[in-house]
Amino acid sequence: MTNKQQIRRALVLLAFLGLAFAGLGYRLVDLQVLRHDELSAKAEQNTQREFWQAPRRGNILDATGNILATSVPVKTICADPSLVGTFQPLVAHALAPLLAISEAELLQKLTPRLARNARGEVVTNNLHYVRLARNVSEDTWRQVTAAMTNLTFGVDEKKLPRAQKEFVHDLRQHAVFSEPDQMRVYPNGSLASQVVGFPAAEEAKVSGRLVSQIVGRDGVELAMQKALSGVAGWKVTETDRAQHELVALRDEDVHPRDGLNVVLTVDSAVQHIVETALAEALQKHTPRSITGIVMRPKTGEILAMASLPNYDPNQPNSITPETRNRVITDVVEPGSTFKIVVVSGALNNNVVKLTDQFDCEHGHFAFAGRVLHDHEAFGMLTAESIITKSSNIGAAKIGIRLGADSLYDYAWNYGFGQRSGIPLPGEARGFLYPVKNWSKVSIAQIPMGHGVAVTRLQMLYAMAAIANHGCLMRPMIISRLEERDGSIVQRYAPERVRQIIGEKADADMIEALKTVPTKDGTAPDAGMKNYVVAGKTGTAQKAENGSYAPGKYISSFIGFFPADNPELCISVVMDEPREGYYGGKVCGPVFREIAERCASYLNIPPDPKLMTNNPAAFVVENAAAKL
Amino acid sequence: MARRSVTAGKQAALAECRHNKKMAKNRKNQAAAIRFGPALKASFLCLLIGGSAVGYVWQKNEIYRLGQQIRQRETKLVQVQNDNKRFSDQISILHSPVMIDRRAKELNLGLAPATPMQVVRLTETPVAPERNGSRQFAQRPVTELTP
Repeated sequence: MTNKQQIRRALVLLAFLGLAFAGLGYRLVDLQVLRHDELSAKAEQNTQREFWQAPRRGNILDATGNILATSVPVKTICADPSLVGTFQPLVAHALAPLLAISEAELLQKLTPRLARNARGEVVTNNLHYVRLARNVSEDTWRQVTAAMTNLTFGVDEKKLPRAQKEFVHDLRQHAVFSEPDQMRVYPNGSLASQVVGFPAAEEAKVSGRLVSQIVGRDGVELAMQKALSGVAGWKVTETDRAQHELVALRDEDVHPRDGLNVVLTVDSAVQHIVETALAEALQKHTPRSITGIVMRPKTGEILAMASLPNYDPNQPNSITPETRNRVITDVVEPGSTFKIVVVSGALNNNVVKLTDQFDCEHGHFAFAGRVLHDHEAFGMLTAESIITKSSNIGAAKIGIRLGADSLYDYAWNYGFGQRSGIPLPGEARGFLYPVKNWSKVSIAQIPMGHGVAVTRLQMLYAMAAIANHGCLMRPMIISRLEERDGSIVQRYAPERVRQIIGEKADADMIEALKTVPTKDGTAPDAGMKNYVVAGKTGTAQKAENGSYAPGKYISSFIGFFPADNPELCISVVMDEPREGYYGGKVCGPVFREIAERCASYLNIPPDPKLMTNNPAAFVVENAAAKL
Repeated sequence: MARRSVTAGKQAALAECRHNKKMAKNRKNQAAAIRFGPALKASFLCLLIGGSAVGYVWQKNEIYRLGQQIRQRETKLVQVQNDNKRFSDQISILHSPVMIDRRAKELNLGLAPATPMQVVRLTETPVAPERNGSRQFAQRPVTELTP
């Protein structure tokens, strides 16, 4: 029989147990329901790791597939100073020769520093993460790991207490670690450096962690940044205590999409020819700068674009404002090369024929209160001879006959005063003032290339239009975008901008231009032995501080060949040449050098009219006789 | 009739008594008896549970081991891909015209670009097959030769 006391005790026990279970139940509900989101996020944070997978930046290739810029996998060496303890001098001594950093600098990086944060609290900087070196090769990283493993502390480690053994193990295995990175490499050094451009490493915060990215700063590297950079991937996974990934618990694994390869229209062999010829001319005439461009007039493809002095993108210290791409960034008065605009316009409007005579006033022509001069005293000259002899007065008179509005329209249609649309950053528009802003003398000055400012590319672009039956083609520098396996993603086709002059006027203009690289013209040294060349010289005084600087000239020669079926249009421009300054004298020979070597490399058939004393035909005839 | 039923009742009681005596005898000898069935069942159950546990641990261990292998192979694959890219880049660089020109100058080979006069150009024209079907040689007329 149970008495009342026993029942009471049982009830108290029951109540106590009930209360305990109710407490547990409440705790369970609190953890599993009320704080579910917070705690599950915390649990995920404790176990899951997110790894950012950097895409490989695409290559920049020339038209024949040669590498102009590529990315090389490298390592960024980092350290956890909290695991180094007081052994910074030892670690710095071991790593300094491998990383090519001074011991003092390494020591400073490995030592945690005290600093105040924004709230004025004293915090320890670089406690767990510090970058020791970037762009370290795989081989060097292996040497670094070996050096860390072989660190000796001058004590018998077997006799150390367990905690110190663990410290030594962590110091050797985890104190210095690496992160994958990539480095941009330019195998050909300075070749086409201003076209290719250069990049810089930028830090970006991804998932709360700083990651290094390569970002273009100039040239194609900048213009095609999006295509080159690719899309990053990521991996959500779990790691063990030693930070090794537990592959079975990998949750998400999205591979990065590598950047596309950008294939240029530039041919590195042609570029090399141009740069070699320009470097020789730079040595001979010591100008401040010299530029050269080679373009296919039929398509607008640029085969070479060079500006000296240039830089080596592998050495960022060599990049200065002086090494900019002057072909597109600098604007200058073009001088006599601009005469092609006024003469072709006048021929197209039928206000002038090649045989029309103009009085060149024996070198002095007073117009609108100013006196225009020629470099020689010419009397009566035909329109063709005005081009041949490069008479300023003759060109001014043709301009006056053409009229201001037409002259402006032709100059605009040839692309002056506007960007050509070449996909390179930093292209200048140049200056072509509207007719309402012209002075009285402008109509006489502009035909001789004064009162307008153009880029060197614009001038070549205009000459290429004459070589291409009067049709202006947009300059192309990028041919296509490719995947890493070579499959084409996007192809850029030649783009016709507009027809500027008719076939007849164009043919007449070419006939006139053919007379320039002859013994009667201004550029006899630009003539080629086996090809008929058409071109125009230019010698413009440099404008400085609102007036023309004496003895400072921009000398140029722009031409194309074979004149009747143009394959290449070439421009050579020198800024302040010192040994001679006439465009035909200083730039003509450089043009010929480039043209002859390019013709040989590109296997351009010579002009049949110039085939004399043909030994090749003789050999074949003999061979035929033997057969 | 009544007597008959009393006898039947006695016989039933006797049979029950005999049965009870037999049960008592078996219970008495139970400790000494060997009963394989339940022992086998128990052993089997233990083996099943133990085997499952060992299998589970082995499987987990295998997953971990294979995971490590996958990780190592992935690392190796990346390394091989990097090496592959480095070598292909190296080949490409060695083929580049600039490098070839530099080497030609270094080795002082005295090479010069061919002049147009040194180039023989042949134009290919289609050759009509001969009617008699005799053996044909790859002979084409030289129609245009330019220096």
